[in-house]
Amino acid sequence: MENYCKEFKIQKNDIGNAGTVASLTKRELKRRGLTRDFVKTVTIGIYEAEINVVIHSYGGTCEVCIDDKYVNVTFKDNGPGIECIDSALTPGFSTASHYAIENGFGAGMGLPNIKSVSDEMELTSSKEGTTLHMKFNISGDSYES
Amino acid sequence: MRVSDILTDSNFELLSNKSETKLEIKSFFASDLLSHVMGNAGEGSALITVLNNINVLGVASLLDMSCVIFSHGVKVNDEIIKKSNELGIPLIRTKLTTVSTILILDKIGL
Repeated sequence: MENYCKEFKIQKNDIGNAGTVASLTKRELKRRGLTRDFVKTVTIGIYEAEINVVIHSYGGTCEVCIDDKYVNVTFKDNGPGIECIDSALTPGFSTASHYAIENGFGAGMGLPNIKSVSDEMELTSSKEGTTLHMKFNISGDSYES
Repeated sequence: MRVSDILTDSNFELLSNKSETKLEIKSFFASDLLSHVMGNAGEGSALITVLNNINVLGVASLLDMSCVIFSHGVKVNDEIIKKSNELGIPLIRTKLTTVSTILILDKIGL
């Protein structure tokens, strides 16, 4: 099947549209015949990261690329950066605003969930911005039989 | 158990269109934190929550959930109801607490 690569813009505090990237990627993965479990795994990772960009950053982009072997997803935001990555990766640790918590987010489970569902995860951050890359391996078992 | 089975109990009110109430409920999940729902709820589950914003439907749709049950009689705005009809995810509301909701669903045949 042909390779798929798409870039999305994500706006700060745009909670109403958060989940759009996850939803469109889910549709593409299903179209490619990947299993429900595989689709769910990728969807969880993308959704959590999308929410993070919306509630914590000044906005950014997400690139989703799918080929026969991998789903590669890269989120880049425009800051303000993660002060302590180790803390951010600790389940339950949260710096979320009241606004985010009111909307059901900010439980401190976003990055731990991403780490747990992805096959590889790289996170780098400075005041200028944060980059999160996650990779999901596609094998023969990832396809519906 | 199907969504329509819940509606046989007068404590539960259907807010969305009737068309999708034949969906099968495979399990129940109660939470007001969407990351917990994302990380732990299963496909076909019914979500019990007091969280009445549009993102609940986003998560329910991504996880292919069977319905959303709003407990504690929380207000649900028209935008959410419209979105649920678009997505085909039934919305149910009850004045019961989350705990009482689970206990009654257990009696109905959870």
